[in-house]
Amino acid sequence: MASREIAQYPSSTRRVLSVATIIFIAFYLLWTLLPFLIMFLSSFKDLLDAFQLPAPGDWGGVSLLFTFEPTTKHFENLFVDLNFGTYLGNSLIASLGSAAVSVVLGSFAAYALSRFDFRGKNDLFFWIISTRMAPVVAVLVPLYAIFRSLDLIGTLPGLILAYTTFNLPFAIWILKGFFDNVPYAVEEAAMCDGATRLQALRMILPLVAPGIGAFLVLCVLFGWNDYLFASIIGSGGAKTLPPATIGLVQPQNIQWGSIMAAGVVTTVPMLFLGLLIRRYLVAGLTMGAVRE
Amino acid sequence: MVAVNIQSVWKYYGKTVAVKDLNLLCRENSFLAILGPSGCGKSSTLRMLAGLEHISAGDIFFGEQRVNMLPPKDRDIAMVFENYALYPHKTVFENMANPLRLRGVDKAEIDRRVKAAAAMLQIDALLDRKPMQLSGGQKQRTAIGRAIVREPKVFLFDEPIAHLDAKLRAHMRGELKHLQRRLETTTIYVTHDQLEAMSMADNIAVMHEGVLQQFGTPSEIYNHPANEWVAGFVGEPPMNFLNCRLELTSEGVVAVHPACRIRLNDAQRRILEEKQAEPDVKLGIRPDNIAYRAGANSGLDIPATVFVTENLGGDMIVEVTLGDDRLTIKTKIGPIANLDDPCTIAFDVSRIHLFSTTTGVAYF
Repeated sequence: MASREIAQYPSSTRRVLSVATIIFIAFYLLWTLLPFLIMFLSSFKDLLDAFQLPAPGDWGGVSLLFTFEPTTKHFENLFVDLNFGTYLGNSLIASLGSAAVSVVLGSFAAYALSRFDFRGKNDLFFWIISTRMAPVVAVLVPLYAIFRSLDLIGTLPGLILAYTTFNLPFAIWILKGFFDNVPYAVEEAAMCDGATRLQALRMILPLVAPGIGAFLVLCVLFGWNDYLFASIIGSGGAKTLPPATIGLVQPQNIQWGSIMAAGVVTTVPMLFLGLLIRRYLVAGLTMGAVRE
Repeated sequence: MVAVNIQSVWKYYGKTVAVKDLNLLCRENSFLAILGPSGCGKSSTLRMLAGLEHISAGDIFFGEQRVNMLPPKDRDIAMVFENYALYPHKTVFENMANPLRLRGVDKAEIDRRVKAAAAMLQIDALLDRKPMQLSGGQKQRTAIGRAIVREPKVFLFDEPIAHLDAKLRAHMRGELKHLQRRLETTTIYVTHDQLEAMSMADNIAVMHEGVLQQFGTPSEIYNHPANEWVAGFVGEPPMNFLNCRLELTSEGVVAVHPACRIRLNDAQRRILEEKQAEPDVKLGIRPDNIAYRAGANSGLDIPATVFVTENLGGDMIVEVTLGDDRLTIKTKIGPIANLDDPCTIAFDVSRIHLFSTTTGVAYF
């Protein structure tokens, strides 16, 4: 559980390695964060400013990137003219809805798989995860046919169902691991105390809360970042942010400013979600329930 | 406060038999210890009593009530687990209050009873802590506290002090026994530690491989073991066993070992005749019932050589070689002998046990 101090002694290889590590991390951060910086800055720039780029090798010209007159006109364009408020709402409802459904159903299924023995349990467990082995594209066409006959195309419930199809097996698989980590003795103690099985399950839920919280984020991210389902099953009435952003690329006119602003709108909520949940992700799981 | 009656109970796990045809009675308000090595079926028995596992066959009665089909919450039992099984996210107070809350006891009453139990267990200063901030002994007291706040019909203890250090364990033995006497609650206590069973229980049930070997008071178990297995399991250091052959001579019945001859007394002879003992027997004698003197020709009947001596402070353990066998002797501290020194030993004949070599059953 607790991390242990590992004794390390200096040697020349280690010194070289530690310098190399720092250089690598610096480049990696530059590589991953720079696009976000450009996106963020560009979303507040007028089109002319946005294309003021320094010539290759002109390091002094970097200041060009930061000299501009801030404007919010791209955001105004998105929310006033292009109906992005609705798309943002759709994205939130679809991803949060699917995450909630997946976690609730997944918790019950994972609990059952973790605690009960029944015939064919291992096969069932493998079958559940095997549904995630096929690529999404492979099932898209049959899923589309099914959804169309059920009138679910272009609706938010349809989109939630589609995401749940993919989130649920994952949820069961991951959450089972979390339940397995909670000693059964805690529930047995609860039952001896006078709890029913359901009350005993409620008693241990706080112990799996960090796992459920972490997993909730993964489910939300899956729905939030999805393009394929959103463009095919959600097309029309349940447009979410990614297809809406693609819609800004038109043959006669690529709206770079609005695309950058849409990118910011898509990124920021998940950034805050990550910060919010970070404390949960690192919390200890059983917190000394049982003598180790 | 009820008697617990286990009637012809079996427990299977798939095809493995964990408990075979167990019959046991724990009288009202008495303290029964179920003693045995790991895998002997003692924990399965306790879990069936608690209702955490189904009974494969047979019946369990609490008083007049058959409880086979009752879930744990309806059996009115309280169980203390080997690993304490506290709720890690709740404080000591909340852990102890939980059984009362689940039964809808009102707040003031919960507060009063938890505080009374905590005071009795001397953990009243820790009520706001969480299990992670407690030592092993404190966790264990909390687990016991959770069991006693409710005044259940039966206490079930599953090796509750096995994980404490030796000193604390000795202390808790006394406390648990005191607690049971004070609360006068029927208690069933599972342990693999004979010291715990001997020191606390009114009755001990010794189990081995799912079968009840012997049921009796601690002194019956110790002084009159029913068979060779019980004799070897109970007692520290364990009993010595010698393969002997019975011979009827002019001086009476003699147990003949390649390195010694032991004349049995008349009472023992009568029992052997009554039970029509076979001539091949296993002779058992406890380490305290062998006398030991250092030096060749030091006066006792049987010559032997020293294998090793262990100094325990007040006592010492001497292992001696007798023919091809090795005997453990416990005696008052004396001069420490060297390896292979000669010595003489003598058996306290009245404390000898004889077991059938075929069935292991004790003749006496």
